[in-house]
Amino acid sequence: MTRDSVNLPNARTWREIPQPVVPRAMSREGQWRLLMAAVRIAAASVIGGGALWAGWLVFAAVRENVRVMPAAARATPLRAPELRTDGVLDGAWLARTLALPAKTTLLELDLQKLRTRLLAEQQVATATLTKNFPDRLVVTISERNPVARVMTQMLGQKRALLVARDGVIYVGEGYDRATLETLPWLDGVKIVPAGGGFRPIAGMEQAAELLSKARLEAEHLYSTWGVISLARLATDRKLEVRTKDGRVLVYFTTNDDFFRQLAKLDYIADALGSRDPAASAVIDLSLGQDVPVMVTPAPAEEPAASGPRRVARLSSASTTRDEHAAMAFRPDLPADGDRPASHPTLFVPPHPQFSQPNREL
Amino acid sequence: MFIGAVEIGTSKINVLVGEYTGRELAIIGRGECSSRGVIKGTVVDYKAASECTHSALEHAERDAGERIEAVYLAQTGGHLEGFYNEASVNVKASDNMIDGADIRTVCDLAKSKELPSGRMVVHNIRRPFRVDGRLVPGSPEHLVGQKLDVGYWTVHGQEQRLADNIHVIRGFNLEVRELVLASLASGHMVTTAEERQHGILAIDIGAGTTDFALYRDGAAHVTGVLPVGGTHLTNDLSIGLRLTEGQAEKLKLRFGRANVVTRDKNQKVWLDGNFAIGDRQFSQHAIEQITSARTWELLEVVKKKLGNAFSPETCSAGVVLTGGTAKLGGIADTAAKIFGVPAHLGETPSWVSENLRDPGYHTALGLLYYGVSAAAERASASRRSSGFLSNVKRLFANA
Repeated sequence: MTRDSVNLPNARTWREIPQPVVPRAMSREGQWRLLMAAVRIAAASVIGGGALWAGWLVFAAVRENVRVMPAAARATPLRAPELRTDGVLDGAWLARTLALPAKTTLLELDLQKLRTRLLAEQQVATATLTKNFPDRLVVTISERNPVARVMTQMLGQKRALLVARDGVIYVGEGYDRATLETLPWLDGVKIVPAGGGFRPIAGMEQAAELLSKARLEAEHLYSTWGVISLARLATDRKLEVRTKDGRVLVYFTTNDDFFRQLAKLDYIADALGSRDPAASAVIDLSLGQDVPVMVTPAPAEEPAASGPRRVARLSSASTTRDEHAAMAFRPDLPADGDRPASHPTLFVPPHPQFSQPNREL
Repeated sequence: MFIGAVEIGTSKINVLVGEYTGRELAIIGRGECSSRGVIKGTVVDYKAASECTHSALEHAERDAGERIEAVYLAQTGGHLEGFYNEASVNVKASDNMIDGADIRTVCDLAKSKELPSGRMVVHNIRRPFRVDGRLVPGSPEHLVGQKLDVGYWTVHGQEQRLADNIHVIRGFNLEVRELVLASLASGHMVTTAEERQHGILAIDIGAGTTDFALYRDGAAHVTGVLPVGGTHLTNDLSIGLRLTEGQAEKLKLRFGRANVVTRDKNQKVWLDGNFAIGDRQFSQHAIEQITSARTWELLEVVKKKLGNAFSPETCSAGVVLTGGTAKLGGIADTAAKIFGVPAHLGETPSWVSENLRDPGYHTALGLLYYGVSAAAERASASRRSSGFLSNVKRLFANA
């Protein structure tokens, strides 16, 4: 039988009387004592805090000042630093960048300085250095990945550099040349020198998103892209993409989903390719449902400089509103060659269904 | 650790400062102040009582040259009452060996008594255990028996009166660590462990109250407080001889007795003795008669209050008297006549310095002594109960 099992009454004891500190019920001596107690607590807190701070200063000084380190701790020379990266840089690059003196020890290393040295290389996004006693330095870095190339000119010399997703321009080291060849060139941007390098390019994230989506979802289109221009990004929210052969110019808009725009482009490219693979075209995907396509036949087929221009409009609304479009669906529509050269020809391919994107792109 | 012992009495406030090192206690300071705002041991004027208590505390701190950290406070007053409650349990173990759980259970049962609204426990004084009716002076743990009995003398008081005393101390920004019954404090000071074992009645006659504690089998058996003290003797003299209170107090201190020894009714004593204008003569016989009558009545009331708890057979060590009024001549003889046992005045232990040997300091000294002993006992009990083995045992007991 315990107190828990037999519900015993509990008599209140004098210890339950609260002993509050009520200054108004205190005598002058009591208030003075209370004040002194508060002052003592404050002083003790200040002294305690000061002691902690001083201790921290001493600790920091000891940590920084290697001369006071015990000789035994400085005896073991450092082994080659170990690099852990998510990119292409290697140990040789690390050794060159850190430039550690021979026979240095782990205790002598100033990790902050070494980290600054690593981050000075724009290819390195983040760097963490860890001392593993007794003789190992582990460097963990994350690298920037190039999304485009850019041609710069400094001191009269042209030089191709790489641009990362965050707009950082860097030299790039350790990349496969063939891989770099696939990257489009960046155009329509102002490259401003800063320090020893360049300022990051504004708006590059949107361009990088388009490029990465195209690379992932429409590899056959991406492989034809030669130049991406950000010239109209700030003013019209448009990205211009020109193919490597210069025949096709495509306007993308940042207001709409890039995936939908790529799907439309794929469809139009197919339609154009089936009719006239050698024709030049300007495709504007920035107008939403309406996609104006200006087609210029290849010069070899149309020798006259003022040859006929064909404009196609891809629109569901245009099939009912546009008179020319209505004409385009007539079964007796004559072939392109039968039309007068001075009049543009309109043709409207069936409207693609984008509600369920074709993932096979 | 610097501990203060505070006795807020009706006539004066005593403060002692003790330095407790965990092993020994040294008294290093003393403060004293005439009391105001206190009647019959109860604070009736908070401000006046606070002022003189704080003044005494300040003097004591200055005398000690140290700051008091906590206070043991003496508690008296007519509002204090006591009752006895006992409980018994059957020993749980199959081999009838008493364990800690049996002891805890019987103690909890004996202490569990509801009090009227507004009353609070001041002390739970345990009487010795009994195993199958056999008295066990110490702990009954590991003894063999079927039935374990224990009784508690519970002293309780009015919440507001207790709170008033505590708040007077809190007003000096000090914490009340222990509240000790004045009769227990002074009783522990003027009795020895042997006397308490044989049975002794300690009576502390103060100015406003008379505190008594009857010891038996080494522990306090019954305690009590009467709201009658030395001021009543003064008052009787003042009325009987038509004097001011100051004059009556003077006569009481010089010629008052607890028994009548002057046979000649014409024997006169001077009020001041300086033959100045207003100095008067009074019959010494009359003075002794007045003071002895009241003293006799007071001790009779104490005996009546004790009732059956007191008997000359169980109080072989007699009666010990202390407190300011115990300085009255012939009081030991009177007590011996009333109680039928030898009586003597309380003596201060030899280790107490000369300037603290006055009976008026017995309560304050006892406070330090009793408070420190109780705190040490509680600390060791809590250490025992929080030990690793105890925790493991409790874990299995709860499972």
